[in-house]
Amino acid sequence: MDCPIRTQENTDWLLDYSAGRLDREHAAHVARHVETCQECARFVEGQQRVWNALSQWEVDPVSAGFDRRLYRAIEARPASWKDRLFRPLRPLWRPIIPLAAACLLIAVGVVLHVPQATIRPAASAEKIEAEQVERTLDDMQMLRELEMTPQQEGNTSKSL
Amino acid sequence: MGASVALDYDAELMLRVKDGDGASFGLLLEKYRASVSRFLFRMVQDQGVSEELAQEVFLRVYKSRETYEATAKFTTWLFRIATHLALNWLRDEKNERTQERLDQSTEDAPTREVPDRAPSVEQLMVHAVKVEEVRRAVAALPDKQRAAVLMHKYEEMEYSQIAKVLSCSESAVKSLLFRAYETLRVRLAHMA
Repeated sequence: MDCPIRTQENTDWLLDYSAGRLDREHAAHVARHVETCQECARFVEGQQRVWNALSQWEVDPVSAGFDRRLYRAIEARPASWKDRLFRPLRPLWRPIIPLAAACLLIAVGVVLHVPQATIRPAASAEKIEAEQVERTLDDMQMLRELEMTPQQEGNTSKSL
Repeated sequence: MGASVALDYDAELMLRVKDGDGASFGLLLEKYRASVSRFLFRMVQDQGVSEELAQEVFLRVYKSRETYEATAKFTTWLFRIATHLALNWLRDEKNERTQERLDQSTEDAPTREVPDRAPSVEQLMVHAVKVEEVRRAVAALPDKQRAAVLMHKYEEMEYSQIAKVLSCSESAVKSLLFRAYETLRVRLAHMA
């Protein structure tokens, strides 16, 4: 392995090795090099000192009202037009789902019944047509009878 | 933080937030509230300011939910917002201080009341002298170097992720970190 400090290559290996974050294979390479390179050994020692010093710097957690203030700020911030449009509907959204499902079922039922509904008028139309034909035939018969009656009357008067 | 499972889960949560699921936003807040606040405190070194900035980070996350696309790790996006806010604040703070110095030297105008950003006596009592030295050493780093060190040391981010947060190349991050730690090694050399 070439010296990372002299070549300025793989300096991240030295940093990660000092922090104990380098994978086992690379760490073995660096460890072997550090044993023979005083400059890198000094670097690792100094870097480990820095690493440990930084670890001592702890930070207080956020104040108790952090979330409350954040949500208040979110509420106060003007919403987009989509939000303003759909926000009043949001509480209704979940109860509407079963209602929508019921409506859908009814709609499907109606659609499935439509062909039967169209058949029925057709059937009744045929019925009506037959009745009409029958009635017309009756009417024609009646008219024929009426036409025949004067002729028959004329014949009877001639014979008289 | 580096696990791909965690990436998918966080991105999934954010996509649920996009679909209007407020509970998922609560989960993300719970998960990252502490790390974002810690990072911002170490950047600006002021409890009040860091909390304000942390609030702004999560507000921006919530506000951007509609345009969110899971193209990068959620934490990369989150720390990009946090770093951007912190760097802007530090820049404005420096400008303000410079302006104040100029005002004081040219005019006899009454001095403005500025909140004391130095740690209080109480804080000094609580914190050990060593911690105070570490704080000062980190604060003395250039802003970008400081952000890189904090993400590398405390958030355990990969070089590639830090590069994405800082919008630079991975090799630039390695060089940034090498220089930053070099400075810290000199400043903290006396610490056992």
